[in-house]
Amino acid sequence: MIRSDARLKARGALEFGVDLDAPGALHGVLIRSPVAHGRLRRVDLDRVRSAPGVVCAIGHAELAELLPSGRGATAHPAFPAAELRYRGEPIAAVAARSLAEARWAAARAHLEIEPLPIFAQIEDVFPDWPGAGEGESEHVNAHVLARQGDVEGAFARADRVVRGKYRTAGIVQMPLEPHACLARVDGETWHVQSSTQSPFGAREDTSAILGIPEEQVVVEASWVGGGFGGKGAGLLEPYALLLAAAARRPVKLQLSYAEEFELSRSTLPSIIWVESALAGDRILGRRVRLLLDTGASLPGRDFATGYAIGFIAGPYRIGAVELEGYAVKTNKPPFGPHRAPFAPQCVFAGESHTDEIARAAGWDPLEFRERTGWREGDETPLGQKVGPFGLQEALERARAIRERWKKELPAGTGLGLAVGFWSTGTSAGGEVLLRLTPSELVVETVEAEIGSGSVIRGLVAVAEEVTGLPREAIRIGRTDTARGPYDAGVYGSRTLGALGNAVGDAGTKLLQELARRIPGRGELRLEVIGGSCVAVRNGSRVTVASLLTDSERATGGVLARGRHYGRGGEILAERVLTGGFYAYTDFTAAVHLAAVSVDRETGQVRVLRYAAIADAGRVVDPPTYRAQVEGGVAMGLGEALTEETLWNASAELQNPGLLDYRVPTILEVPPIEVEVVEGFLGAGPGGAKGGGEPPVIPVPGAVANAVADATGARVRELPLTPERVARALKLL
Amino acid sequence: MTPSLHLLVNGVRREGAVPPTERLLDTLRWRLNLRGTKEGCRSGACGACTVLIDGRPRLSCLTLSHQVGEAPILTVEGLESDPVGRAVLETFVAEAALQCGYCTPGFVVALTGLLKEHPGATETTLLEGLQGNLCRCTGYSSIRRAVTRLSEPKR
Repeated sequence: MIRSDARLKARGALEFGVDLDAPGALHGVLIRSPVAHGRLRRVDLDRVRSAPGVVCAIGHAELAELLPSGRGATAHPAFPAAELRYRGEPIAAVAARSLAEARWAAARAHLEIEPLPIFAQIEDVFPDWPGAGEGESEHVNAHVLARQGDVEGAFARADRVVRGKYRTAGIVQMPLEPHACLARVDGETWHVQSSTQSPFGAREDTSAILGIPEEQVVVEASWVGGGFGGKGAGLLEPYALLLAAAARRPVKLQLSYAEEFELSRSTLPSIIWVESALAGDRILGRRVRLLLDTGASLPGRDFATGYAIGFIAGPYRIGAVELEGYAVKTNKPPFGPHRAPFAPQCVFAGESHTDEIARAAGWDPLEFRERTGWREGDETPLGQKVGPFGLQEALERARAIRERWKKELPAGTGLGLAVGFWSTGTSAGGEVLLRLTPSELVVETVEAEIGSGSVIRGLVAVAEEVTGLPREAIRIGRTDTARGPYDAGVYGSRTLGALGNAVGDAGTKLLQELARRIPGRGELRLEVIGGSCVAVRNGSRVTVASLLTDSERATGGVLARGRHYGRGGEILAERVLTGGFYAYTDFTAAVHLAAVSVDRETGQVRVLRYAAIADAGRVVDPPTYRAQVEGGVAMGLGEALTEETLWNASAELQNPGLLDYRVPTILEVPPIEVEVVEGFLGAGPGGAKGGGEPPVIPVPGAVANAVADATGARVRELPLTPERVARALKLL
Repeated sequence: MTPSLHLLVNGVRREGAVPPTERLLDTLRWRLNLRGTKEGCRSGACGACTVLIDGRPRLSCLTLSHQVGEAPILTVEGLESDPVGRAVLETFVAEAALQCGYCTPGFVVALTGLLKEHPGATETTLLEGLQGNLCRCTGYSSIRRAVTRLSEPKR
């Protein structure tokens, strides 16, 4: 069996967040803002409270009495006091005996709201790229500017300049399981079970929003029905806890799909300009300009602009580079992380541009990338040295696949190549506890298995490697934030790397401890004989049961704590003129090839074949790694072809549902060829690099380049809907 | 007045007072404690709540409990008692045709219904029949591998 959770999941026998229940639990519903921008004049919940089945209704006015004295006035309270910043922002909440009663009651709230001007789109703030001084605006969350070399000079010396303006759409993570949690307040302890990717992250957010010390908030993860970055923050937990405090009973809170679309904090639209100065086949200089819609994000919460913008410069040798971006504040819901946050969009622009350069000059797009692509030791625009990087070898593999496809596919098929890179790594750290009992090894962690397999397979595989025990004798023991060791969360392609290293550390310590108890010099390993764990050293076998101390027998086994807090990279401070930029850690390449056919009458794109070559460092568990690449590609195909949030001039989401926001179906994802390049080692166990995010990154770029190859028409806007393709083909 | 409802679920007769507007999904999950059937979009777009009614895949979120009548209902909890269901479950486990597992009950139930309705169905027929089941994790690749195995003629 490939996955130990497969049998239970196939039978529907695991408890996800939506399945949580407790005796006497009430059902909560959020009362949310009907407008995208306004000033709250009055919140009257009397008619909510008098509705049948209602136990409590709370808004900003009730925070002070519910929270420990003086704690209600946090910087960003659960319910706003006055200004409403986006449609759907929670204003109040109600708990009732049934969900139907809570919904009915929520609709009876009386809200008086003074409308304020709505900034729905980037263009409402900046109609075009802001000129000097025009970027100083209250509608800017962040401004970043970095420069390497003489950019002006590069453009002055150029033989040719290639320019492009690209647009990308808002997308949502849309895990099949919506956010859900179950909260209760026991005396001083605020306890919440939640479908979360990061129990400690949810605890930190909840503590900050409610003003309750972190130690008094206990978060326990349930099984998580997909996350993709959307379940990493304390989104629902504070509201559920407040309702539980007010009702003095457990409260279940779950988002509907429509709420999921509005509240889950994902990627918003962007406008990207790229221009390159060329001399022969060298890129003398590049200017990148980015306007990123960050919605109603709070100032100081911009993590994307100064990070993602580097991906537009690409993993290429460029003489001089200027990167400038604005995080634009609009009245859309706040921006948030979504599997390789904003990187597929940046790489779509960057790789479309790379192809445009190559095609304009008549060069083979693959050879051009081979000539200009980074090799280990090259320098990034921010002055960082590129570490072990499998780009060149992945391009070589892509060449072989492309030659084979050219023979096999009919004429007229478009072939597109795109290169993505990502910074995986282990700098967001964590800890685990290993517990060796006479019959099994338990990996104790707060983290839930969110689907990727990084916990249930990744951590177990590392424990197998370090101890010698078979996987059947190793189990994940999930615990809560009160009892469990700290970990940053299951996100950012860091789980196997950071937490896996912590398992390795703990396993090594565990074996050292056992070695102290068995005389001899040779290496100690563990194995299972007849259902019992046995330590093997110098050919002699001793049962673990016989090695336990009296106190270990009482507490359940030998304990070993492992930790890993990796180092981040460094950038040259003098390259940064304004704002925050971030260093990369493990340089991780992804090279993709797409084969498409384009309907010349409708503009419909069909992906016929897809190949993904991954720079894995070292693959710890091949089936799980392959599954991550396959799933990433499919998610990227949605971003490339169909997924797009549509907003009207009042910043209202027009398509909050899966009938109008189309994710790929089984017939729209072709079989995916996965190849792996190993040996360019990262910081994870045995040199593993993170695998969850890289495979989504090159997909929109590869598809756009394939469409251009098939038709000669360049679509510079995501997603590549039939309408946009038809316009590029001049059919409309 | 809340009318009484009689259902035949996984071979067992169940009865109780259920409001006329209640969805089968909610009756199964919260009255009968059969939470293997997953709640997704509640609007017929995702397929996570698929059950078999009279052997055919149906969306329990778009079915009122009182609409079902005498027709037998098979949920994921009853799949192991069905030879086709058992084969589908075993194949999904062997191929690890799942990641987060949330859409999986819907897939295995739908596929069981398709195979019962169309014995010897081709891979294409089965894939077409699964278009209403969304999966966000696997890219459908491992699910395809399971479908391929299930559509191979038995030796």
